Amino acid sequence: MLTIHLYGIKVVLERETYMQSVLSFLPKKIATLLRDLPSEQLDSIEEIRIRIGRPIEISTGSSYTLLPMVTSTEDASVLLNQLTRFSMYTMEEELKRGYITIEGGHRVGIAGKVILDGGNVKAIVHISSYNIRIAKQKIGCADSLFPYLYSDSWLNTMVIGPPQSGKTTLLRDLARKISEGDERKRRIALKVGIVDERSEIAGSVMGVPQLHFGPRIDVLDACPKAEGMMMLIRSMSPDVIVADEIGRSEDAESVMEAIHAGIKLMITVHGNSLEDILKRPTISHIIHQKVFDRFVILSRRQQKDFQYIILDETGRKLSLERSGLR
Amino acid sequence: MIVKLIGASLILIVCTVIGFEISSRYRQRPKQIRQFRTALQALEAEIMFGHIPLKEASIRLSKQLPSPINQFFDHFSRLLDISDIQVKTAWNNSLENITGFTDLKKSDIEILSQFGETLGKHDRYQQQKQIKLTMAHLEREEDEALDLQGKYEKMVKNLGFLIGLLIIILLI
Repeated sequence: MLTIHLYGIKVVLERETYMQSVLSFLPKKIATLLRDLPSEQLDSIEEIRIRIGRPIEISTGSSYTLLPMVTSTEDASVLLNQLTRFSMYTMEEELKRGYITIEGGHRVGIAGKVILDGGNVKAIVHISSYNIRIAKQKIGCADSLFPYLYSDSWLNTMVIGPPQSGKTTLLRDLARKISEGDERKRRIALKVGIVDERSEIAGSVMGVPQLHFGPRIDVLDACPKAEGMMMLIRSMSPDVIVADEIGRSEDAESVMEAIHAGIKLMITVHGNSLEDILKRPTISHIIHQKVFDRFVILSRRQQKDFQYIILDETGRKLSLERSGLR
Repeated sequence: MIVKLIGASLILIVCTVIGFEISSRYRQRPKQIRQFRTALQALEAEIMFGHIPLKEASIRLSKQLPSPINQFFDHFSRLLDISDIQVKTAWNNSLENITGFTDLKKSDIEILSQFGETLGKHDRYQQQKQIKLTMAHLEREEDEALDLQGKYEKMVKNLGFLIGLLIIILLI
């Protein structure tokens, strides 16, 4: 059970609701199979993998279990019907990108036969594998970082970490907190613009974010980051821009543009340490401009915790290695 | 004498009504085919420009279209609520559901049912092609139906009245 404050109203989220929205999408046979699992196991599921002609796999990040049921072609087609709501034609972009975001912010990755058009991926047909990644918003996971990232105003922050270290989870909670403000009005809620290229931060369905944020949030869903940041600056006058996985050179340009426009940035970068990412030319260029005030270095998490170190703009450690509830 | 007159007029009325009924079938069929074509055209717009999922599109169509075609889409959209159903099954079931109160022939239903096989399974352009193809088939059916209407509608109407007269003459 989880209690959050949404627009000043106390909302109690039951953990099962995460699972419930996924189960309602699955074919009945598979959903019953999952419902029969012990509730702790059901709770810890991070991915459900469904492959035609193979047993269903549930994985918890570090371990996996195969369930005693082989998926038939009919089961898969029922699942696809549910995912596309009987309308493949509404999913063209999604099929090109290789994943579909469903209600609740969960993402379903798909693999199958790819059709090309002039060398570019046009669509995936005959889908044979589905990977349902359960979106579990860890509300409050960034709480212990705030003292380091806020002094009079939010500081430009770069979150660095390897895959599955919780970068996006952390970023999402930061965005929630900034757009929500403080109950005691010490920090006022700011306008937050999220450029959500992979629909991962806000988990939008039909443009509406499915995860919890404050009232002052604007999301550009499935928009390329560089362009998206410029669009937000031009039209949405954000105070803070949040973007995931900066890496290409045009991203770097937009980052500089945004910072010089007086907008605070919260971004993530793939990497193991600050030294690591300094080797990447585009990123090191940004860092050498000394525009980022804080670096949060995440290390691969142990169990459910995530561990972080915070550095200031010169690379000096501000905090000891700590772990917080992820 | 009066009894005879009443009997004769009853026979005449019944035969005329039967004639009218049969001739109305000749009139209704092209009209209903045209309604289905309008429906497909509207569906095409929803798919191509609106990117609207089938269920929502059917609900809209059921509100826009005249009876009895609206009942078809109403039924179809309801069936799509069942989680383990296939579009094909829902479409065919809805077609069966309306055959009772439309004047469509088996060949018309067959064309529509073939269209149901492909619905929702393709990208927009494929879907548009399928709609265009079905529309072309339906147009052919409509031409045929109009032809039959021109040939038989009036004749059947008159025939009913005349058969009534014939029966009366034979009985007198």
